[in-house]
Amino acid sequence: MTDIALRAGRTPRVRRGALTRGRGLAGLVLVGAVIAAGVLAPLLAPYAPQQQIPGANLLGPSGRHLFGTDEVNRDVFSRVLYGLRIDLGICLVAVPCGALVGGLAGLLASRTAVADVVAQRVFDVLLAFPPIILGIAIAAVTGVGALPVICVVVGAEVPLFGRLVRTSVLKVRELPYVDAAETMGASWPWVLRKHVVPNILDALIVQLAISASGAVFIDSAMNFIGIGVRPPTPSLGGVLAAAMGQLGTNTLYAVGPLLFIVVLVLGFQLIAQALLASRRGDA
Amino acid sequence: MTSYLLRRLPSLAVVLAVSSVLVFGLLRLVPGDPATTLAGSDATPDTIAAIRHQLGLDQPVLSQYAHWLTGLVTFDLGRSYIIGGGIGPLIGGALGNTLLLTASALLLAVLTALVLGPLWASARRPWLDHLLTGVNTLAIAVPTFVLGVALALLFGVVVPVLPAGGVPRGGLLADPGITAQYLLMPAVCLGLPVGAVLTRYLAESLRSELAQPYVVTALAAGVPRRRVLLRHALRNVLPTSLTVLGLQTGALLGGAVLVEFTFSWPGLGMLIERAITGRDYPVVQVLLMLSVTVFVVLQLLTDAAHALLDPRIRLGGAR
Repeated sequence: MTDIALRAGRTPRVRRGALTRGRGLAGLVLVGAVIAAGVLAPLLAPYAPQQQIPGANLLGPSGRHLFGTDEVNRDVFSRVLYGLRIDLGICLVAVPCGALVGGLAGLLASRTAVADVVAQRVFDVLLAFPPIILGIAIAAVTGVGALPVICVVVGAEVPLFGRLVRTSVLKVRELPYVDAAETMGASWPWVLRKHVVPNILDALIVQLAISASGAVFIDSAMNFIGIGVRPPTPSLGGVLAAAMGQLGTNTLYAVGPLLFIVVLVLGFQLIAQALLASRRGDA
Repeated sequence: MTSYLLRRLPSLAVVLAVSSVLVFGLLRLVPGDPATTLAGSDATPDTIAAIRHQLGLDQPVLSQYAHWLTGLVTFDLGRSYIIGGGIGPLIGGALGNTLLLTASALLLAVLTALVLGPLWASARRPWLDHLLTGVNTLAIAVPTFVLGVALALLFGVVVPVLPAGGVPRGGLLADPGITAQYLLMPAVCLGLPVGAVLTRYLAESLRSELAQPYVVTALAAGVPRRRVLLRHALRNVLPTSLTVLGLQTGALLGGAVLVEFTFSWPGLGMLIERAITGRDYPVVQVLLMLSVTVFVVLQLLTDAAHALLDPRIRLGGAR
């Protein structure tokens, strides 16, 4: 019991340390750099994302066009930077939404038996659709755009956060001191705030990092197969898909968007791994 | 064992039932008259009437649902009005291609894991361990389609040794050697993340297995390290690895869509992409139900295999 209490008090410090060295730092730098590039896009991008430059058709990379130009004479570097804003925006909306809805569902499931059965079956159904397949189903109804992407990310995150919160809450309530607090007449909101939240915060933060990586993947995959953001609005996946058609003529066109997607997914993964390792106590 | 499976069946049935209602409802959620939507923009009134009859749109919703479900169960899948042809043959053809792709990917993944897992677990040089960790993290993190584009770029364009996509002109069965060339990149692409997860799991469980007393005893008795690793430790960790493989196989479904799209491989993924962009809803519906069924059954089989190997799960609580 003291061990658990001690650990609960100590973990935040361990976690901060996890992101200032090794894998965690590398992940933080990668993600930070990409986010900065997206935020500063209006300053960094030499051209507007939709601007067609006369005479610059499928040029290779050069000082003027870092990633070259595309099939309708637009600067790929500028499109990637502005596309990044769209992709980051989608993830920024969808991941917290999924976490919130999933967390609340999990909390509800931990309260009553009926809610538990219903929530578990809903999670089962959501998990039975692989995200891309779910995306196809939703895009079939709503049509393509940012909305189906957000729906899919939320749909994919809800069961993960729901299960996590449900199991953690049930586990915390088994702890002797929580049991004791309830016996002494502590109200459920008080127990929630005082004991449950501090105990599951770590797990939630790790899951958020994993989910962010997954969201970038889902978002770019849906844009890639053409059921996400509609062109000419730029997105990493969309630019990559367009580059696929030009592999023979402008070989390096695909490299730019490729690089950004990999860095973003890898960065979040590294952060998640570092946090996970620090929770287990081996880093 | 049978009772364990029986206990699992209700939740499986609920998932399938709810999914079928959702998938059935899909077409009704699309704005506009379903028959007109299905027929496409340049359809004759005759076609629209035929679709109306096929879907039984003049009957109550409940009997429409029953009609659709009966069709699914009896493999009477109806016609596709936009892609064209019967839905059954359409899916049958694509299914074969997808199975070939996923089976090759799984084979590659399992072989990789069986070679690299033990190697990694017994790696005593720090640089080798770091190298394998790095490569493994990258292999898990890089999205399949990103890897696909990178591979197509590298081996299809920069060093043109393999076809960058598509299928051989004479069909897949004409010449196995040429088919293998076309299959290699998509299969590697699809199998890599699975192989990476499996390798990491195998290596980690082997490492904890190697710390067991029986391993120490065997080593002290002079049994060669390689023999202990491959004959004893590996055999003990294979059952749980099977579960990981089962879960990963489910994930292949989503991956196949992306890989097939990247390499223009004419499987179910391409078909569903075509159906969705062409708004061919009956095809989308059948494919969605197929995917959910495969996924749920795979999950059940995985759990069953795990229960078969670990009695604690079978005898434990109903949770």
